[in-house]
Amino acid sequence: MSEENWIEVGSTDSIEEEDLIRFDHQDKTFCVYKLTDGFYATDGICTHEAVHLEDGLVMDDEIECPMHQGIFNIKSGEALSPPACEDLKTYPVKVDNDKIFIKID
Amino acid sequence: MKNNIIILGGGQAGIYAAREIRQNDSKSNIKILGEENLLPYERPPLSKDFLLDKKKEEDLYFHSSDVLKNENIEFENISINKVDFENKKLFAKNDNVYSYDSLLISTGSENKKLTLDNNLKNDIYYLRNLEEAKKIKEIVSNKNKITIIGGGFIGLEIASSLSQLQKKVIVIEIGNQLMGRIIPKQIADLVQNTHIEHGNEIILNKQIEKITKKNGDYEILLNDNSLIETDFIIAGIGSTPTVKLFENTNLKLDNGIVTNQFCETSIKDVYAAGDVSNFYHPFYERNMRLESYQHAQNHGICAGKNIAGVKTEYTSIPWMWSDQFNLNLQLTGICDEYDEIIERGKDINNGVIYFFLKNNKIRGACGVGIIGKVGRDIRITSKLTEKNTIVDNQILSDQNLKLNKLIQK
Repeated sequence: MSEENWIEVGSTDSIEEEDLIRFDHQDKTFCVYKLTDGFYATDGICTHEAVHLEDGLVMDDEIECPMHQGIFNIKSGEALSPPACEDLKTYPVKVDNDKIFIKID
Repeated sequence: MKNNIIILGGGQAGIYAAREIRQNDSKSNIKILGEENLLPYERPPLSKDFLLDKKKEEDLYFHSSDVLKNENIEFENISINKVDFENKKLFAKNDNVYSYDSLLISTGSENKKLTLDNNLKNDIYYLRNLEEAKKIKEIVSNKNKITIIGGGFIGLEIASSLSQLQKKVIVIEIGNQLMGRIIPKQIADLVQNTHIEHGNEIILNKQIEKITKKNGDYEILLNDNSLIETDFIIAGIGSTPTVKLFENTNLKLDNGIVTNQFCETSIKDVYAAGDVSNFYHPFYERNMRLESYQHAQNHGICAGKNIAGVKTEYTSIPWMWSDQFNLNLQLTGICDEYDEIIERGKDINNGVIYFFLKNNKIRGACGVGIIGKVGRDIRITSKLTEKNTIVDNQILSDQNLKLNKLIQK
């Protein structure tokens, strides 16, 4: 795992618990979440139609798309409820000195 | 015990019911009888991304034939023309006979047709299925000025798509607002403004007196004597439940097939789900018939559980959406039972929602905004409605305050 792929997203207090922030890097958009047991990251665009998940609802371990209520598990990326049927890509997250990093491949 | 379960109707409610039955019952035979020679597919994209060529036919299917094969669910393309509930048999046009132990009716709904001179019947197009969508897509490529009769969801979604294909579009609506059957006027007016900004012409409060064909084009005469010239006509004037097959049977019908909260009809071992069912909703304590994606799915799943012997009440709070241009409109609950209306937001760029309350509890809400801007709040509203939460109007009306603070865990 090479160090250079860890990208700094922001400070740990920039996300409220059970919420998310959008993070854009180069030409890609990610969502970074704070759940009760830590931080997680997924692609920022719904796999059903190209809509940003940043406006979606985070409940427990799930993110629900604001457009058509497709639901994904934030930790695994699994598509849980139609119309979403394609899983969401997830990314490793680490916290170092109160800063959040995600590993982009 | 091994049963024969037949699902009459190969749409969304039918496929979701079939898979739910299989989840709970590994032994019974499950057969879906569908009138279209296609596996169950998603209809919402037909008026939008399919017309715009952003989605192809192969993107529309809920599940591949492999999924059905793995779950041992049979699908047969057949048209049934007689039902014998007493002897539990269905008769097909080709003389095939199907016996069932349990029957789910998920025949859906069909488009209302304009009453017109017979010689114009083939000139007016309607959109419900893939074949009709393909036809419209092919023909409009050579047309320029298209008239849509009916300013409901389907008409306006087509109007939005055709405008994006650079067509001149005119929408004629008989009522005094768009989407008047279920959408509050405040929201409908915001959607109307967007259509007008994109160049669509919206004509309200007008009835069609006569349509005349002239040199391959059409002249539409309205009741104020104005004349519209157009080269293609699509009508979307509502739908009716598909119940013709049951009209002379003991099955209780009233705006669809009457069912209780367990999807059970008036006849034992016969269930109904989706658009065709006029079901009892225990939360609203009344019967209702819904035509929506979420309802077809959840009602199908509920029917599947009940057929498999897992007694389950249907309690989903209604939810539906429409996408037009860059707007996403969403509705949750019921917006016609209220003693108070609360507005959240004023600008579609940030989303505008109207909440309909009775005794300080939300009964329904409707919102519209640039894509992504109302979904989260509408979803939270569904949860607040379902939990009968007494809401703080201050939080509802202030867009700077997050609605999820109101959810009691």
